[in-house]
Amino acid sequence: MRGLLADRPTLFVPGCYNALTARILEHAGFPAVYMSGYGTALSLLGLPDAGLTTATEMQANARYIASAVSAPVIADADDGYGNAVNVIRTVREYIGTGVAGIHLEDQALPKRCGHVAGRRVIPLAEAVGKYRAADAIRRELDPDFVLVARTDARGAHGGSLDEAIRRANAYLEAGADLAFVEGPTSVEEVRRICREVKGPIFYNMTGVSPRFTLEQMQELGITIAIAPGALLRATIQAAYDLAVALREDGPLAEAAFSEQFRKHPLGDLHTFAGFDRVRRWEEAFLPPEELEKYERSVGHQPSRDTSGGGAGAP
Amino acid sequence: MRATTRLRQMLTAPGIIVAPGAYDGLSARLIEAAGYHAVYMTGAGTAASHLGQPDLGLATLTEMATHAAHIASCVSLPVIADADTGYGNALNVVRTVREYERAGVAGLHLEDQVAPKKCGHIAGKQIVPAREFADKIRAAVEYRTDPDLVVIARTDARAVTGLDDAIERGNLYAEAGADVVFVEAPQTEDELQRISHEVKAPLLANMVPGGRTPALKTSELERLGYKIVIFPAVCLGAAIPAMERALARLREAETDDDGGRPMGPMDIFRKVGFDWWHEVERRFASPS
Repeated sequence: MRGLLADRPTLFVPGCYNALTARILEHAGFPAVYMSGYGTALSLLGLPDAGLTTATEMQANARYIASAVSAPVIADADDGYGNAVNVIRTVREYIGTGVAGIHLEDQALPKRCGHVAGRRVIPLAEAVGKYRAADAIRRELDPDFVLVARTDARGAHGGSLDEAIRRANAYLEAGADLAFVEGPTSVEEVRRICREVKGPIFYNMTGVSPRFTLEQMQELGITIAIAPGALLRATIQAAYDLAVALREDGPLAEAAFSEQFRKHPLGDLHTFAGFDRVRRWEEAFLPPEELEKYERSVGHQPSRDTSGGGAGAP
Repeated sequence: MRATTRLRQMLTAPGIIVAPGAYDGLSARLIEAAGYHAVYMTGAGTAASHLGQPDLGLATLTEMATHAAHIASCVSLPVIADADTGYGNALNVVRTVREYERAGVAGLHLEDQVAPKKCGHIAGKQIVPAREFADKIRAAVEYRTDPDLVVIARTDARAVTGLDDAIERGNLYAEAGADVVFVEAPQTEDELQRISHEVKAPLLANMVPGGRTPALKTSELERLGYKIVIFPAVCLGAAIPAMERALARLREAETDDDGGRPMGPMDIFRKVGFDWWHEVERRFASPS
């Protein structure tokens, strides 16, 4: 992750919400992926992003995602799940999942999505203590682990952009690597953030915030930009449309869809899933008799030599 | 009969419910084998045994509910489980109640501390406004899917705002729908008595050795009018020095053979249901 930050102008990182969507992003050529807390809550629990997901659930999802791709993963770690003491455990656990970095926010517990009204932030001094705690433990366990400090002060109850910029700078001083001012509502606000925050900028291109081209973000001075919810929305749209077709047109809508899916770049599903890789492992590590099971057996025949099928391929 | 229904019946039947604290499946099994009628899952013991960490609000809802499920599934006794603050606000409480219900517990206690919480017998606790916590109790009661789930409201106010407030809160939480009230850490027998006289709900007493509350016998607590007594540390408190002694002896003697009758593998397996599983194997998995 640190390597990517050093040699790239603006790193654009779309969001995934599980191991499958992480693999799709990697397959599409993205060098890093982002784990969305909103997407984790909705896909894993079927719940809104309102502080209902536990640290254990978030870290389990982060672990599945980090195991499924070789691209570095930046994960949402909400508010760190408590005070500075909890942050110590949270950073330790996230490092253990294999993600490359996390973002921690200054919302009051329980948090909610940064683009939904009703947020509150904790006092500045308390938040600084949490970032200092996070910095101390990652220095001890993995100094390369990337810490992104997010402030929700722009859109929180009684907040302002000035307050958010002040907090972002305080969090960078406390040890954060990147500052993430959540929810600017105009190009001018983003420009001010990039000008007045004294450190690398993490930008969340979603919800109420303006959209940019990569060139524009580079010009503004954004180091990392995430698009956290696009794949989640794409999945919802595709799944819902097919569900409606199955209900309205009946079972044969499945056949029609499958016919169409086969022509998709990922339409060779079993290969994308990684059966070829399993067959290669079998050939390398199992007694040859075991491989006889593929003969005169009906179904997809995994290829014996092509590559593909996710991270960890030998 | 569901464990929740059984615990509810025990609440209306005469006699005090004695629930020794289990910190894992093994200790829960030992409590059942010793003839008790209820098991208490200690949060402090869960953090200590499951995570190797102190009771400072580090254990997550997922970890606590998973641990409760392990305990509830290896004993047939009703389990009363520590659910800390409910892990957030009233919304989190709703999720906590549902997760604990699915874990198979018969009852749970929620406390009015600020999250992240602290052990009830150490300094530095903070409490939320009484009204806010009453709303959390109302949420728990309204959103339990099993009407027999026993919701216990714990107040930590004694150490923060004093006994009067703790009693007032106890009554407020009972009005909000709590089935049982748990006033944490009264400091004298008189305080235990005042709570019993003034709180209008079935009461839970917490006996923590070395804590703020004087150690009373179950019969004394029953006489004072308490309906449930938990001994959270009884198993863990016995296990820690026993393990330390065994480890020191191993270092000195260079063997764990102390000359006495050893606990063999079968002795251990029998404590955790070997005979039951052996019967299953005999009936369904032995070669014909």
